[in-house]
Amino acid sequence: MNDNILNIKDTKFEKTAGGFVSMDLAGTFYKRVKPIRLFPFTDPSKYIAIHDEKDVEIGVIEDLAQLPKEAAALLQEQLELYYFTPVISKIINIKDEYGYAYFHVVTNRGECKFAINMGGNAVSKLSDNRLLITDLDGNRFEIADVLALSVKEQRKLDLFL
Amino acid sequence: MILKFDLPKQVEDLLSLSADEKLYYSVPCDIDEAGKWTDNGYTVVTSKNAYVIFDGKIATQVALSDCEKTKSEVTVGGGMLVTKYKGEQMILASYSAKHRVRYSYIARGINILSSGRDEEVISKEYETICPKCHRAIPGTKDCPHCTKKGGFFHDFKKLLKPYVKSVIGITLLMISAGVVTLLNPEIQKHLVDDVLSKPDGSLSTALMCLLGMFLLGAGIVVINVLKSYFCTLLGARIAKDLRKSLFEKIQSLSLQFINDRRPGELMNRVVNDTSSIREFMQNTFCNLFTVAIIFAWDVIFMLLLNWKLALLSFISVPFGVWMTMAFRQSIHRRFHLQGKKDDDVSSNLQDVISGMRVVKTYGKEQKEKDKFNRLADEFSRIQFRNERFWAVFNPMIKFLMSAGIFLIVLFGGMQVLNETMTKGELLQFITYTTLLYQYLDWMTSMPRELTRMVASMERINDVMDQEPFTPDVENAVKHDIEGEIEFRHATFGYKSYQPVLEDINLKVKKGEMIGIVGHSGSGKSTLINLLMRLYEIDDGELFIDGIPLKDMNSEHYHQQIGVVLQETFLFTGTILSNIRFAKPEATYEEVIRAAKLANAHEFISKMPDGYNTYVGEKGFTLSGGERQRIAIARAILKEPRILILDEATASLDTESEFLIQQALDNLTNGRTTFAIAHRLSTLQNADRLLVIDGHSIAEIGSHDELIAQKGIYYNLVKAQLEMQGES
Repeated sequence: MNDNILNIKDTKFEKTAGGFVSMDLAGTFYKRVKPIRLFPFTDPSKYIAIHDEKDVEIGVIEDLAQLPKEAAALLQEQLELYYFTPVISKIINIKDEYGYAYFHVVTNRGECKFAINMGGNAVSKLSDNRLLITDLDGNRFEIADVLALSVKEQRKLDLFL
Repeated sequence: MILKFDLPKQVEDLLSLSADEKLYYSVPCDIDEAGKWTDNGYTVVTSKNAYVIFDGKIATQVALSDCEKTKSEVTVGGGMLVTKYKGEQMILASYSAKHRVRYSYIARGINILSSGRDEEVISKEYETICPKCHRAIPGTKDCPHCTKKGGFFHDFKKLLKPYVKSVIGITLLMISAGVVTLLNPEIQKHLVDDVLSKPDGSLSTALMCLLGMFLLGAGIVVINVLKSYFCTLLGARIAKDLRKSLFEKIQSLSLQFINDRRPGELMNRVVNDTSSIREFMQNTFCNLFTVAIIFAWDVIFMLLLNWKLALLSFISVPFGVWMTMAFRQSIHRRFHLQGKKDDDVSSNLQDVISGMRVVKTYGKEQKEKDKFNRLADEFSRIQFRNERFWAVFNPMIKFLMSAGIFLIVLFGGMQVLNETMTKGELLQFITYTTLLYQYLDWMTSMPRELTRMVASMERINDVMDQEPFTPDVENAVKHDIEGEIEFRHATFGYKSYQPVLEDINLKVKKGEMIGIVGHSGSGKSTLINLLMRLYEIDDGELFIDGIPLKDMNSEHYHQQIGVVLQETFLFTGTILSNIRFAKPEATYEEVIRAAKLANAHEFISKMPDGYNTYVGEKGFTLSGGERQRIAIARAILKEPRILILDEATASLDTESEFLIQQALDNLTNGRTTFAIAHRLSTLQNADRLLVIDGHSIAEIGSHDELIAQKGIYYNLVKAQLEMQGES
C-alpha cells in the first residue's frame, strides 16, 4: 500500500503573485497547488492532501506542524481560503417566522446574519455538542461547543437541537 | 438574480467612470481580504476593467484585456473569482456561498467582455433572500412579503372567480350565521326582563321566547351545517382544479426547472400546497364573515348597552391576545422540539433495521442498543415535559382568559343592584363578552393561517407563471427523421456555475453508430439529454437532417426516437402496458416480437401471469436485467429513427448481454445510434467512438484509429484488458 505521504524535506512552498501557493517537490514544480483537509471536522490541520491544478492528489502532509513555520502559515492561509466555515461565538438573536429561522450571530469571521430552512436538515450534529448549520445559500457555520454558549443563547438554539 | 446592485454614492464617486467606460456588473463581495464578513465590499465590472472595492478603497483593479479564462471556483462554503491575469492564475475576489451563483454569471460576463464582445449576461435564477426585507423567499421569483401584499387579494379573487356562485352563497350563509348568533342574547334579555323578573309575566310570553330561542338554536345548527358543507365542497373543488392545472403545468415545464427544485418540492406543491388552500377555505374562510359580523356587532351592541362595562371588558382583550399568542408560541416551540426528537428515534430505527445485516455481521448490537436507548429516553423526557406543561398551563390560560367575565359580573352586578341596569341586560352583556372571547383565539390565529395560505398560493402561482419549456416555434416542422445529426459549438450546463459540455462539434451521418466513452461525470449522458431535447443548449446549435432541433415539433420528434436508459423506469402496471407505453395501439404480435428481440419473451412467458404480470412499486419484483430487457422491448416496439442507449446493457450478465447485443445489432442496423457504455466490448460495432473528457470531445475516430493514437481510449482499453486478465 502506498499511502502517499509527502516527505516534508522535499517540499518547498511559495506564494504566487496571484494569491495562490506553488510547490516544488524534489525538483518537480507545481505552479498552483490546493490543500485539502481529509478530516475537516475532526482534525483540520492534519492529513492535508495537496492537489495539483487538475485536482489530482500529489501527496499528503501528515501534520502542518511538521512544516517550517512560514510554509505552515502559507498553507493555513490557503486552507482559510478554500474552507469558509465561520465559527459562531455568540448568538445575538434567532427569530423564527413561517418556516424559516433568521440568525444574527458573531463569528470568528465577524458579525453576520443568515437564514435557515426549519423544515430541512439545516442543523446537523458533528458530535454531541458540536453543530454544523447550513443556511439557505449553502454557507456553513459551526458551533464548536454548544455548552460554551450562555444559557440564554442555548435556549434560543433549543429549537434546533 | 440581480447582477447589477445599486452602488453606494461613495463607491460611485471613487470609480467616477469616464463616458466611454460603461458599467456592466456590480455585485457585493461579502468576504474581505482578511477573510472576514463585510457589508462594504463590491466587485464592479465595466467595459474595460474589473474592480474589487472594500470600504471605499479599490483593493484590486485589473484590465479585462489582460484577463483570460475567468472562472468562479467553488470552494467549501464559498467560492472565488479566479482569472488568468497576464498568464498567471490570480484571485480577484472571494465570496460566500450566498453569491456563488451570481459570480458564475459575472465570470461568464467577464469572459465575454475580455474576448472583445459586448453582450450583457442576464440571470434568470431566483434570489434566495429578499434584497429588500432580508426574508427568505420560498422558492418563488418575488418576495411574497414585499411585492405581493396588495396583490394577494387580486390573486385570491382570481382563485375564487370560477366559483362565484358558491362564494356568494357561502357569504350569505356566513352573514346569517352571524346575525342569528347575535339575536339569541337579545331574546334571552327579553325573557329575563319582561317575563321572569316581572310579577305579571305570562307563561305564554315565556313560551314564545323559548320557542324563539329554540328556533334560533336550530337555525344556527342548520346554517352551520350548510356552511361547512358548502365550504368543504368549495375547498375540495378548488384544490382539485388546482392540482389538475398544476400537474398539467409541471409536465409542460423544462427538466431544468424541475431539476432546479429539490426532489419532492414540486410534489409538495401539488399535494401539500393545494391541501393548505383547501384547509384554509374549509376552516378559516368559512368563518371569515361570520366572525367579522359577530365581532363588529358585539362591540357596537356592548357599547350601546353599557359603554363603561364594554370598555372594561375591552381592556382585557389585548391582555388576552398577548397571552394566547405567547402560549401558542411556547407550545409551538415545545412540540416542534418533540417532533424533531421523534424523527431522530424513527430515523435511527430505520437505519438500524435496514442495516441489520451489517450490524449483526460486525457484532455491534450492544452499541446500537445503547444509542437507541439514549434517543428513546430523550424523546420520552421531552414528551413528558411537554405534556406536563400542557396539562398545567392550558387550564390556567383558559381560566385567566375568562377572568374578564368576573369583572363584568362584579361591576355589572353592582349596577343591577343600583338598578341602573336590568338583569336581562347583564345576562345579554355576559353572553356578548363570552362570544368575544370565544372568537379571540380564532382571530389571533388568523394572520398565521393567512400567511400560510399566501405562501402556498405564492408557490402555486410560481409554477403556474412559469413559461413552458421550449414552446414549439410557430409552424414547427413535423419532420420525418432521416438520421443525420450535427452539433455546432454546443455548450451546456445544468447549473449556471458549472458547464458540463463546452463547444461540442460533431457531425453524424445517417445510420452511423456512435459509441460514447469517458469517465463518469464527464458529460456523456448530458450529450444524450440534449439530443433527446430534454434540455435546451445554452450556446451553439443542434441540427437534425440540417434542420435546427428547436424548430421541430417536439412531440413528433420524440415519437421517432427510442431510448433505453441505465435506470430503467417501469410504471406501475402490467408488463404489456409498459412495453406498449410508447405505442399503445401495438398488437400482441408486435409486442411479442419486440420482447423476443429484446430477449425478454422467455422470462416473461415463464411468469404465472405472462405479459399480464403486474410490475411496479407494489407489483412483481423484477431483477435489474429483466427490467432492462423490458425497456429495450419498449424502445424496439417503437421502431425509432434515432436510437439512444445509455448503459443499456449494464445490469445484464454476460450471456444475456451477448444475446441482447445481437438483438441490438439488428435494431441499430440503418438507424443512427448513440450508445454509452463503460464496458468497451459493448461498443465493438460502433462506427466511430467519441471520447469525452474535460467537458469536450477529446478524441474521435474508429476503434483502430483511437488505439493507434495511444490516447485516453487506448489507456481505457488497456486498463479493461488488464482487469479481465487479472480476474
